[in-house]
Amino acid sequence: MCPHSSLKQEFLKKWIMGLQRCSFSKKNMSILERKKTIKLSADIAMASARNGTTRWSRALISNASKDGSDNRLVQQILGPESNTPVAAITNKARTRRALVCKKIVKRSRRQIRRRRRKCVAAAPVKAVTSSIAKHLVRKRTQVLKTLIPGGEFMDEICLIEETLDYITSLRVQVDVMRSVASASVRASEP
Amino acid sequence: MESNAGTTEPRSNLTASDGAQVTALESLHFTDEIHRLISAPVTDSSTSFMALLELPPPQAVELLHSSDSPKLLATSSPNVEDFKGSFHFPSNTGLIERDARFSGEANNSNGKRNSPEPKDLSANPEKAVKSEPAETESSQPLVSDPALEKRSIKRKDRENKVKGSTKKSKTAANESSEDAEKLPYVHVRARRGQATDSHSLAERARREKINARMKLLQELVPGCNKISGTALVLDEIINHAQSLQQQVEFLSMRLAAVNPRIDVNLDSILTSESGSLMDSNLPSLVMPVMWPEVQGNGHRQQYLHQWHVDALHQPVWGREEVCNNYITPENSLLTYDSSTNSETLHANQLKMEL
Repeated sequence: MCPHSSLKQEFLKKWIMGLQRCSFSKKNMSILERKKTIKLSADIAMASARNGTTRWSRALISNASKDGSDNRLVQQILGPESNTPVAAITNKARTRRALVCKKIVKRSRRQIRRRRRKCVAAAPVKAVTSSIAKHLVRKRTQVLKTLIPGGEFMDEICLIEETLDYITSLRVQVDVMRSVASASVRASEP
Repeated sequence: MESNAGTTEPRSNLTASDGAQVTALESLHFTDEIHRLISAPVTDSSTSFMALLELPPPQAVELLHSSDSPKLLATSSPNVEDFKGSFHFPSNTGLIERDARFSGEANNSNGKRNSPEPKDLSANPEKAVKSEPAETESSQPLVSDPALEKRSIKRKDRENKVKGSTKKSKTAANESSEDAEKLPYVHVRARRGQATDSHSLAERARREKINARMKLLQELVPGCNKISGTALVLDEIINHAQSLQQQVEFLSMRLAAVNPRIDVNLDSILTSESGSLMDSNLPSLVMPVMWPEVQGNGHRQQYLHQWHVDALHQPVWGREEVCNNYITPENSLLTYDSSTNSETLHANQLKMEL
């Protein structure tokens, strides 16, 4: 799959703008600080390229805005479009609450279903294999939830949609960063 | 009724435009279709399923449902034959089966009209058997016939009368509640030999939704097509995401190591990037137009001459379409940078090709 060139170009634009804004703040940084700044600005640029349409982007921005040290950076990077973090945080809170309520409802329904189905006994072999498969899948989804920013609050369907989006955004990010790195390496060669 | 009529109108527009834009792709026919349905005027003709993702997921799903549900109505045999008679499209089996799955899930997702419909189906076993091919073939009008619209409208009216109140219990219980707001009900088709319990139907709908999205993921992540089984596919996806995140880390470290300052980075990037782009003698006034939004610095002007010089010395990069990815970083750079300022660069690319 080829990410849209518009996405790449938007990401590059936002990233460069963010880097510019960051560079004006501090003059000399250690390499780790620089790396952190670069990565952070890249992530924020990627997330803001989604304009708050996807949950992982909102979660990413709100996570970054939570820490005090990164907050300045985030504000700088996002800059004039400062409505995005505010909207992101409120959205996330709202979706969190909604999802918690949904989880409670789901859990209660699952219990009802379990009580109803106690009489229906599946074949023992089938039950064992299916339970093993379910266990594996559940383990994997747990891991996936830790990977995707804000994934812990999503149900399975949304989680898969978000991973789709997140993976494509990551690809775009990697492509752009790789080309920028190679270009800068080439440029720095005398 | 009004909501049904409301959903039919956008669908008629979409199907009309879909008839105009049928492109055959090797993979992800279905997602292209979705994309076309969603925003026909907006999309390019070279749609990938990224366009699907650019739409926020709930809207995409909702549009899927709104477009699918009126089509996938009754399984009464006269309609099946009507359907069979009216297909003009070459059948793509992958498309059909994906459509079938999606149509099944769209049917089951929101409200459940359990009791009347499954009874109809269980009463006519031969029709239930035909229900699967009817599903697959009824999914074809997803892209084609406006003539089928009328039939679907009629059927929808018929189905409305038998709508039960079970859907209310389902909409509260359903995960995709945003879809329930748009559609008052979704048709449910109970397959032969399966339980028609409302809970199992809801679970089946959810399972079908998840499977559909897993298929999309499988196509996205390279090497997942051959793997069967959800756990292994999820393994691959997790590995892929982790590797991408690690690559981001390494690349950011590399970028930090290359330049002592972030600012210097930018200037050098832009010179080499644009140098790689301009492999023909472009007028220099293109370049300030190219980067107006990216820089406001006045010292960029000195790079214009550098760009012109670089252009003559740079090797000629292949002109690549947007869809060629992962080939070389420079080529990918070329594609997206060349579309930075689309109107001027289209003219430039034409000049290059001449």
